[in-house]
This record gives sequence, structure tokens and C-alpha cells, in this order.
Amino acid sequence: MSETDNRLQRLQEATEAVNRILLGKDRQVNLAFCCLLARGHLLIEDVPGVGKTTLAHAMARVIGSNYQRVQFTSDLLPADILGVSIYKREKDVFELHPGPIFSQVILADEINRATPKTQSALLEGMAEGQVTIENETHALPDPFFVMATQNPLDLVGTFPLPDSQLDRFLISFSIGYPAPEAERALLVAEDRALLLDRTEQILSPAEIRALQEDCNAIHVSENLLDYVQALLAETRDERWFEAGLSPRAGLALLAASRAHAFLAGRDYVAPEDIKTIFPALTRHRLSPSGFSQDPEEQVRELLSQVPIP
Amino acid sequence: MNPTARNPMLWVIATFTLALLPQVLRMPPAVALFALAPLAWRVAAEVRGWNPLPAMLRHVLTVLALMALLFSYGDLSGRRAAVSLLAVMLSLKLIECYRFRDARLVVSFSLFLCATQFLFGQKIGMPVYGVAVTLLALATLVRLQRVEAWATRGTPPRPRHSSLAELGFSLRLLALAVPAGLAFFLLFPRLATPLWGIPETTLDSKSGLSDSMAPGDIQKLFMDDSPAFRVTFEGPVPPPSERYWRGPVFWRFDGRTWTDSFYSRNLPANPMPPDDAPGVYRYSVQMEPNERKWLFALDYPAIEPPDSRITVDFQILRRDPVLQLYRYRMVSNPDFRDSPLKLPAELAFNALELPEGSNPRTRAMIEEWRSQSPSPSDLVDRAYRHFGEDPFRYTLDAPVLGEHSVDEFLFQSRAGFCEHYASAFAVMMRMAGIPARVVTGYMGGYYNPLGEYLLVRQSDAHAWAEVWLEGQGWTAIDPTAAVSPARIDRGSLGAVPEPRFWMDVPWLRSMKNSADVVQQRWNDWVIEYGARQQANLLAPLGLGAMTPASLVLILALVLGLVGLVVVPLVLRIRGPSEKDPARRAWLRFLGRLNQVGYSASLANGPLELAADAAARLPAHREGIVSISELYARCRFSANPPPVSDLEQAVHRFRPKK
Repeated sequence: MSETDNRLQRLQEATEAVNRILLGKDRQVNLAFCCLLARGHLLIEDVPGVGKTTLAHAMARVIGSNYQRVQFTSDLLPADILGVSIYKREKDVFELHPGPIFSQVILADEINRATPKTQSALLEGMAEGQVTIENETHALPDPFFVMATQNPLDLVGTFPLPDSQLDRFLISFSIGYPAPEAERALLVAEDRALLLDRTEQILSPAEIRALQEDCNAIHVSENLLDYVQALLAETRDERWFEAGLSPRAGLALLAASRAHAFLAGRDYVAPEDIKTIFPALTRHRLSPSGFSQDPEEQVRELLSQVPIP
Repeated sequence: MNPTARNPMLWVIATFTLALLPQVLRMPPAVALFALAPLAWRVAAEVRGWNPLPAMLRHVLTVLALMALLFSYGDLSGRRAAVSLLAVMLSLKLIECYRFRDARLVVSFSLFLCATQFLFGQKIGMPVYGVAVTLLALATLVRLQRVEAWATRGTPPRPRHSSLAELGFSLRLLALAVPAGLAFFLLFPRLATPLWGIPETTLDSKSGLSDSMAPGDIQKLFMDDSPAFRVTFEGPVPPPSERYWRGPVFWRFDGRTWTDSFYSRNLPANPMPPDDAPGVYRYSVQMEPNERKWLFALDYPAIEPPDSRITVDFQILRRDPVLQLYRYRMVSNPDFRDSPLKLPAELAFNALELPEGSNPRTRAMIEEWRSQSPSPSDLVDRAYRHFGEDPFRYTLDAPVLGEHSVDEFLFQSRAGFCEHYASAFAVMMRMAGIPARVVTGYMGGYYNPLGEYLLVRQSDAHAWAEVWLEGQGWTAIDPTAAVSPARIDRGSLGAVPEPRFWMDVPWLRSMKNSADVVQQRWNDWVIEYGARQQANLLAPLGLGAMTPASLVLILALVLGLVGLVVVPLVLRIRGPSEKDPARRAWLRFLGRLNQVGYSASLANGPLELAADAAARLPAHREGIVSISELYARCRFSANPPPVSDLEQAVHRFRPKK
């Protein structure tokens, strides 16, 4: 068994471990891992109590990273995220007290409640992998994985993220209510918090970096690129959306699809990978044109009309 | 066929329906029932998804249909019966048509069925309709081919392929067939009669004037707007009041019906009017087939058309009835006088004979007139004026007359159509001792300035009288003109107060008149294109007198040349086929799945499809999954397996329902 296969097996164990905690949400767990492997960040939009935090927590546990949860509020300041320099009299220097952004896994709860200035402090870090505090640039840890949540219904006193910042998130999904059987299992099983505490670390940061490298090696064929381009072109048709996907979104699509293929144990990207990733990738990037309602519905319709080359 | 193939089935049904329509109108009711009922069942079965009828029932239906045919036609040898047989059998075929092969058969035979309408007529509407049916049939065949080709050749129907595009494609195919069609039309050896011959029963019913005239006969014709003949004049066109087209002439009267006499039918005209006098009209007449022997001419016909003779009363009788469009040249001498000096005794006897004791009141009136002024020309004048003075009406709404028809007409109803007036006038003249006869024919016509011809319709049919006066000979008197001058000036339609049909509006009529030029051109250029015209066409090329064999040779040569140009074009519009062998194999695989009822979306990836199809067709799970995986690797992986593996796997994959 090669090293890659070994890692892949461990990765699959990790997803299973998360699945055991967040019941019946295989798709979301799978997408979350794709996001992690593609070095992206995750935006979860849902009402409270469906397991956003549990998912983030479980992810953090199995990938064994140091984990920070930041509750975004309207009085949260950038320094509360980035950290502050404090004068050390004994050493006669300013010393940085790193903020939560220096963790490997961050749960940014209700990101839209903070002011834009605070939001952009986090988002800059997500985009560049580094932060600047008092003219000093500090590299962020690697892997660096942000999971942000938003409540799509409670919009009073929020600062919705502009499109350019939504673009920083690779993948977005909602968790949704559990299926009846999953919910029953959840109700009778033991407390999730205890379960989380018992969950072991499965992947080390070094392994995650290696897995991210592995994903880069996944083959993308010319035929598949044709398909990706056809999809991108179709999103730019104004009968679907107000504005289409950017080339950057196309790159992100490929990266996430590679991760998806890798997770499925394939060494090449198949159209199915693209089709699985595509809705999660476009959910927060595209707004339907005309009177059509649900962006996801629109995207499914679009996917069903673009033939696979 | 499966759900995807259902769509072409509706097309097949539509094609057959369209081809059947003109035939079903001519069928006896029992046969029409057997032509329509299976069709209706098939439509319902298609829409509702009914199961095929059991074989036993189909056999019983077939036997019943054959019995209905035999019962309605007597035997199955006639043309009408044979065409009905074809139509009924095709309709029955439709109820067991569930496969591509059957569907193709029905469509092909529908084309043949559509072509059979030319056995019954050659009106311009027919080829237009025929082209429409052909277009639909081609589109249906193309559609069938597309669906089937998916399974065999791996050419899937294009996404968003509309029916309109299918029709457009068929139109292009048809356009490419035009050169070959033209070559056949122009060069195929022309035979005197068509290959299938023209038996007596070509037309659905005889039309036009007949060999007798009873009250109401011409009135019936008045309802018929179909063309009787078209006339092209070489010189000036006679004014409307002189456009009396002479047809059957009647001598014998039995109190109700006028018929011809032995003499008039068998004695030749003597002398013939000179055909070179100044003031003669020269023209050619193109007659629509009417299955009668009379040819029509203005007074007085001066030349005999081939195979015809001119009788003593200047009827032109053809040896055979007119069964096809027939053209003859004619010269008429309007200044000629027919036997001005002496009327042969036997003719005079015929022209004075009346049934014993009929119409006493009329006779009494004439006796009184005679006693007042015995001069024949005065009597003619007086009778003519009588129709103008008394409240006579020219109407379609004439009451039925009894035994003394002329009495009733003159003294009671005073309402009638031209035949009433002509008949009454002739009877009055005979009572006055003046030889008289009734002439029927057509009066007037519509001059079409576009085609520069005169169009005479059945509704222009007319009857008038002729009296013999010493010194003047036979003189035409049209008593209708006294009652209704409009009949002469404005034609038959202008004279009758009642509208004939609800759609008989002026603008529609004038459109119909003008549009007739299309039919006339069609007659001139297509239907009348015969051996002579063919020779004329080929003569400038140095190919004057050709035997049929050499014509066929030339035809083959031309067709070969046409083929050289057209065949590459046909091949080009087929469009490029899939280049990647892996994809071709995959599409063939999808076609096979389609045959067993699994219709795959082309927007589904191979792995997605494998999961779905394997769940729907568990019996073929293994094949489906392995082929899909092979294909995904061939198309998308870095180290694709050899395509031949995929091709062989697809080749071995033979799903069954």
C-alpha cells in the first residue's frame, strides 16, 4: 500500500468519524473535507441548532488542529481577531499576543453580525494566508481552515458580506434538518459533546498538507476542461443568472473537484465531481435572474441542460 | 417502442392521417369506418399508453374490413377499390405498429397512398398537398432514423433538437431531390395515356351539361363553381353579350324534359361556316375533364377539332368523352346564318312538335296573339317583350311545376331560372307555328387579365332558345335577357338575388377568379406537357425525334450528372459524426439502454448514469457498471485503457427487456 493510499484511508476514516457525529449529512461532510483539501474556506448558512458548530467542532477534532471559535458580534473589533502587541517592560519590547486567527481551524460564528472592518480582517487572512498587525506581517498556520456561519433568516442588525468577500469562501451549503431516522438516532444517542470529547485526532497537520499536495496531482483531462468551460459559459448566459462565474471561480471549481475525486479514490476528475461541487460552489456566488426563486434549483436545471462531452 | 420513441410514433400517425385524408372523403361510409377506426384507436393507445390489441381481434378486424370493402365495391379490382384496400390495410397495420420496421413501412406506404390521389385528378392543390405530406413523411423517417441510429450507430438526437429543425432538414432533402424530379418530368417518355390507363370511371361524378334538360338541371350547375373550360383568344375577345358558348341542342319536348333528336345528332352541318371571313374569332379551349362528349364553341364553329364532328345544329361532338384535360383550337364565325332559306322538312317537323293537349292556357294566349298579328317576327317580338313586361322573376327559388308546366310558369309562378324561360319561350314559338329549339351551353365567363384567358365555370351554364325565321335562318333569342338583363351583363352570379353559399362574398370570389391563373399555368405547363411539347423542348438541343428508349438513355445520363452534384450535398448535410471512438461506443451503449426503456440524459456523467441505470435495470448491473467505468477512464483519466476494451464491452452488451 503506497503512502498516498495510506493517507487516503486515514482521510476516509476521518470523514467517517465526522459522519458518526453529524448524522445523515454525508454530503455536507464530504463537501467540508473537499473544501479543506482544496485549501478553501467554508460558509455554512443555516438556522441555529442544526449542527453547524458540531460539524466545525468535529472537523477540528479529527484533523487535530488547534481550534478557535469566535462569536461575531457588532462590537467585535479587528484586534479581537488578529491579536494585539503588548509592551513587555522586562524585555522592553512590544510582543504580539496572537488572536484567534492564528489557529488552524476557526469557527467564525454569525460572521455577518460584525462590522465590515472586522469581517475584512478575517477575510484578508483567508485570502492571503497572512495578516498584518502594526506594519508587521505574520504568516498564518498551514493548514488554515475557516468555517463561517450565517443565519439566513435573522438579518436584523447584520452586515451582509459583499460579493467580493463571499468569493473568499470556496464552498457554501446549508445543513438542513436531519432525516427522520437520523433525527431519531440523534435523539436517543448520547450527548454530542461527550461524543466529541471522545473523538480522537486522525490526521495531523502535516498529513493534511500532504493530502492537499495529493489532490494537486489528480488528473484533469481535456474533455473535462471542455465540460467546465461549457458550464462557465452557460452561467454567463443571462437567462440563468445576473452575472456569471469568474475564471477564479472556475479554478476553485477545479480545485474542489480534484479534492472530491481524490476522496472518491479516483486519480482523475470525472464530470460527476464537477456536478457535485458545482451547486455548493455557485450557491453564494450566483443570483438567479428574472423571477426564478431558488438559486440551487436554477443551478440544478442548468446542470441538466449542459451535455457532458 | 419505448418512451423516447413514442414521439416518432405520433409523427407516423400524423403522416398516415394526412395521406389518408383525401382518400377517405371518397370512400363509402363502411369502408371509411374501417379506415378511420383503427387510426383513432392507435392515437388513443399512443396517448393513453394502452397495450396492443390481441392478435385474434386484429385478424377478425382484418376479415371484417375485407368484407366491408367487397360489400361496398363488389370486387377489389377497380382503382377506387384498390386504393381503399391499401388505405384500410395501412390503417389496420397501424394498430400493430410498435417497432421501427413497422413504423417505417407505414410511413413509406403512406407516401404511396398520397400519390394515389393523382389517379383521380390533377388539380394544382394535389401536388401542393403531396409535397406537404412528403415533407412530413421525410421528417418522420428522419426522426425514426435518429432514434434508431442512436442504438446502432451511436448518433444520439441532438439536444434541443426541435421539430421545426427536423422539418427544415426534410425540406433540404426534398430540395435536393428537385433536380432529379425535374429530369424525370422533362425527359421521361410521354405516352399517349398514362401507364395505368384511364377507364370510364375516373371522375367521381359526371359534371356539366347533359344530353337532356329538365327544369332545375342548370340551376343545379349554378351551385358548382368548378371551372368548365378556359379560353385563350388569339385576337380580340368578344364582348360579354356575345359570349354564348354553344353546347347540347334540344329538339324534342315531352312536356317537361327536353332531349335531342335523331336527325340533329346524326346529320352533319352543311354548309360549314367559312373560317376565313373577316370578324371570325380564333381561340383555343382547354377543357376540364367532364366525361361528356360535347365541345363548346361560340356561334358558329367553323372548323372541326380532331376526332370530332359538327352536327346540323352546330353541336360539336367528340368521338370519346373528355376524360383528361383536353385542348382544341377553334374558329367561330359570328356572321354566319344557319339555313336562312329553307328548313329541311324532317327538322321542321321536329322543331314544331309538341305533346298533345298540353298547356291549354298558353295555347289560347298564343292563338289570340296570332289572330292579332300573324307575322312570325312580330310574334317572336311580342313573346320576348311579354317576359319583360309581366312581373317575371329570375330566381333560383323556382317552385316545382306540374303537368302543364308552361301554363303554371307563365300564369302562376312567373319565377324561374334560364331553363324555365328558354323552355317556355320555345314552347310558345312552336304553338305559334314557328320552328324553335332549346340550346344549352355557357354564357359569359371571367376574363383573367393576369393569364389573359377567359375562365368559364359550371355556374355559368345557361339555356336559351333559337327560332327559325324565313330569310334569317336560325336566330338565337335569350328570353332571360328580357327578364334579367343583368344575367347577360354581369354574369350569372350578378343576376341572382339570393347568395349561393354563405362564403360567396365578392372579395373572395374575385380572389378565386384571379387565383385561377395558377391552375391555368399548372394545366398549361405541367399537365399538358406531352410528347409534342417534349419534342419541342428537345429540338433546339438537336434531340428532336427521340424514341422512348433513347429518351430513357438521356434521362439516365442526366440523372447521373445530377447525382454527381447532389449526392455530395446529401452526404454533407448528414453532419459530422462523432470522432472519438470511445464516445462513439458510449453513445451506442446509451442507444442500447434506450432500446430497453432506459432513456439516459446526455447531461449525466458515466458514473452517475451507472448508479442510476444499474438500479433501474438490475439484471444488467454488471455490464452497465463496467462499461461506464471503462468509458469514464477512457475519457477522463490520465492513463486511459485501450478503447478496444470499451468497444468490445459495448459490443457484448445486449440488454433484453
